[in-house]
Order: sequence, then C-alpha cells, then structure tokens
Amino acid sequence: MIEKLMNIDRRIIFILVALAVIIPSLLEVNFPITVSQPTRSTYDYIEALPPGSTIMVGFNYGPSSLAELHPMAKAVIYHCFQKKIRVIGMTLLAEAATLGDNMLKDVAAEAGAVYGQDYAYLGFRPGATQVLLGMGTAIDSVFEADYAGTSLAEIPLMADITNYEQVDLVLDLASGSSTEWWITYTNTRYNQQIAAGVTGVIVSQMYPYLQTKQLVGLMPGLLGAAEYEKLIGMPAKGTEGMSIQSFAHLLVVGLVILGNIAFFIQRRQGE
Amino acid sequence: MRRQVPLILCFAFGIVMALTEFSPHPFSQWLNEEIIDWALVIGPFALVLAVATLVQSHWTRIRRRSEYWQYSFLVFIGMASMVLIGIPGGQRHEAFVWLFRYVQVPMDATMFSLLAFFIASAAYRAFRARTLEATLLLAAALIVMIGNAPVGDLIWNTIMPFQDNLPSTARQWILDNPNLSARRGIILGISLGVISQSIRIILGIERSYLGGVEGD
Repeated sequence: MIEKLMNIDRRIIFILVALAVIIPSLLEVNFPITVSQPTRSTYDYIEALPPGSTIMVGFNYGPSSLAELHPMAKAVIYHCFQKKIRVIGMTLLAEAATLGDNMLKDVAAEAGAVYGQDYAYLGFRPGATQVLLGMGTAIDSVFEADYAGTSLAEIPLMADITNYEQVDLVLDLASGSSTEWWITYTNTRYNQQIAAGVTGVIVSQMYPYLQTKQLVGLMPGLLGAAEYEKLIGMPAKGTEGMSIQSFAHLLVVGLVILGNIAFFIQRRQGE
Repeated sequence: MRRQVPLILCFAFGIVMALTEFSPHPFSQWLNEEIIDWALVIGPFALVLAVATLVQSHWTRIRRRSEYWQYSFLVFIGMASMVLIGIPGGQRHEAFVWLFRYVQVPMDATMFSLLAFFIASAAYRAFRARTLEATLLLAAALIVMIGNAPVGDLIWNTIMPFQDNLPSTARQWILDNPNLSARRGIILGISLGVISQSIRIILGIERSYLGGVEGD
C-alpha cells in the first residue's frame, strides 16, 4: 500500500491538477483577498500622484507570463487613467511589443483614454542597457517615433517630456531580470522612482530592493493583481485566478504532505 | 592583430566608461552619452547575428538528418511567415497581430502551463523532509504556498479565529526576513564576482569572449 502510494502514477497527479484548475474556474468561487504591504505601497504611491503626472510602464514579459502579468497591467493602467495620470508604454523585449500595444489599446478603450493625450506607446528598441541609459538623456534619442511610426514631436503628451526628470514613476512589469536593470541604470544613476509587478517565481528576488526603497512598491504575481484589483474596487481576472490558484496550491500542499507521510511510514518500516 | 585590436578596444572603452561614470565634467558626460548612442547602434546587430545563428543551426540539423530534423522546417516556416508579413506590413499589420495573438500567445502560454503538471508531480516525489535543512525548506515552502492563496487565510480564520490572516502574515515575514537576508548575501556575492570579472576582461586577463583557446 505504502509502496503504491510512493510510486503513484504521475498521470493521476496530472488529472488531479487538471481538476483543481477546471472545477474552480467553472464554479466561479471567490475568496476574500488580504492586501499585502508591498502592493499597498504601489497603490498608495500612484494614488498620491496629482492628475497630469506621468508613469512609464515597461511591458517586459512574454506571452508565457501573460496570465500573471496582464491582469496586473490592466488594473494599474486603469487606475492611472481614472486618476488622469498619463501613461507611456514601452518594452525591452521584442516579443512583448505587440502585447503592450494591445493591452494599452484595450484598457484605453474601456477607460475612454485618448492616444497622444492620455497615453502613448513607444514599442521596442534592442539593447536594454543602452535604452535605459539613453532615455536618461533624451527619450527621443532612443525612440525617435512611437510604435505606429509617428514622430514623438507630433505627440502632444510627449511635448513636455524629455527624459526621466519628467517621469514620476516607472512601473516595470517583468518576468525576468528587467526590474534589476531599471534599478541599476535608472534608480541609481537618475534617482528614478520605480515600482514593479513581477511573476511569482521571481518575487523573492525583489525584497532587498524594496527594503532599500529602490523599489517604492511591489506586486507579487497573480496575487498582486488580485490585491490591486481589490484596492481599486474592480475585481477581474486576477481575482478570478486566485480561486484557481488557491485550489492548485492546496492540492500541491496536500500532495507534499501525503508524500512525506508515506516516506516516514516507509522509513519506519525499513528500520 | 585579430586578438590585439579587440583587446585594445575593450581596455580603452572599459576605462573610459568607468572614468566618465564618476566624473561630472560636461566633456566627460558628453563622452559617456555619445558612447551609449554608439552602443544603441551596435545593439540591433546582435539580432542579425541571432537570426543567422538560428538559420545556420537548423539548416545543419536538416542537412545531417539529426533527430526530429523535420521540426526545423517548422522553425523556417514560422520565421519566414512573421518576417514576410512583419517587414512590409509593420508590426501593427492585421495579419502580424493575428499570428501573434492566435498562434504565438496560445503556444507560449501552453508550454508554460505544462509546468504546473510537472511541478506538482515533482513536488510529490522529491520534496521530502530527509534532513533538517530539507525540513526547513519544506516548511517555508508550504507556509509561502498557503499564504499566497487566499483560501489559506479563509481556512485559518474559520478554524482559528484568535489570530486573523496568520498564513499571509507568516508568508510576508518569511519574505521580509530570512528571504531578504539570503537574497542580499547572494546579490553582494554576484556583484563582487561581476566587478572582479569586469576588471579581468578590461585588463585582458580574461579573454574567453574572443573565442578560440585562451592564451592564443
């Protein structure tokens, strides 16, 4: 019996995981969300910005991390548009260029934001380090035109924005090392304020920067998205995803505990 | 000459960039910004190199009939489709956006989603409390997992109403304290390693980036 439990067919585990994901998504169960301090700090910082301020959003994630970071991007950008905070989007990843464009257009349509006045999207340029350093001198030295090819000089929003001095906050949405690049090259050198929203697997790496205030706030994975949605009072994909994540986590915790009980019984029998 | 010129360039630019970083003099700042602009121009060449390497490696697989060589044709078909639509039509072309949204996004998301199944299976088989260190790791992982799921707080608050939201509070404590301390140590170690490696490269002691056998 114990031997069988220890060598359980992995296809059974795969079926259990599939059920743990499918059933909650069909039942639409919602659990109460407790907002963590790092997410609250991000929200508070943006909430305190006066209308007309500018946020630069870095869409530094690919389609593989879309499920975690898209809800977060949507919640924060919607919050900015509601507060009349201007949004400049860009990316350091080639594969994220279309993704950022689609996201901004979708949220803008929902919030009634106007391109060129409330937001602009610069797209992608290769050479992450040089892009970050170059924008410290002049954004138009790196992005001479926006994603659609319109010269930055013709975009009203960009008229009074030269470099980081006119950007009140950078929000990096990342599935890789880009947040550390922003901190190294823009916070240290240009004293740029930075907040981050990152995937669950890299969130633990960000805590030293949070403590040193090199990050003003941090949103951890899908949970961060759900927390932000709660703060702006607009439950959406992040909140929906938390019920699925809850069941999946419970299943993994259950499996680990079961595996360890079987392991200890087998070890005792061996002794 | 093939090795001396890159070494001299590396030394000169390394020293100049390090000095200009610490000097507020206008000329120094101008030089720093000028070199960053040059680097911006060099950046796109890396993409050309990446495409050339990809084509070369998959063409070699097809020529040698390596295992699963047929899939290399899919790489060429995928790349050619995106390039043929993307270059003349631009990144906002309807077909280009369609291919991204309905081909690349689902495929990428599917590949990543498969991880959930393998992680669950691996956690069941490998996550054992064999030693004290493994037990500590296991306990921390379980607390963080439960704290990351809102259902953890809900269950706790229902059965233990004297201390609200303990799972998420415990998770936050683990991230704020032991995790932060360990990460800071790792960051310091990496940073010291990067500094020493940079000095070795600038001074020409480390030459492996030139290719070939060291000391040629």
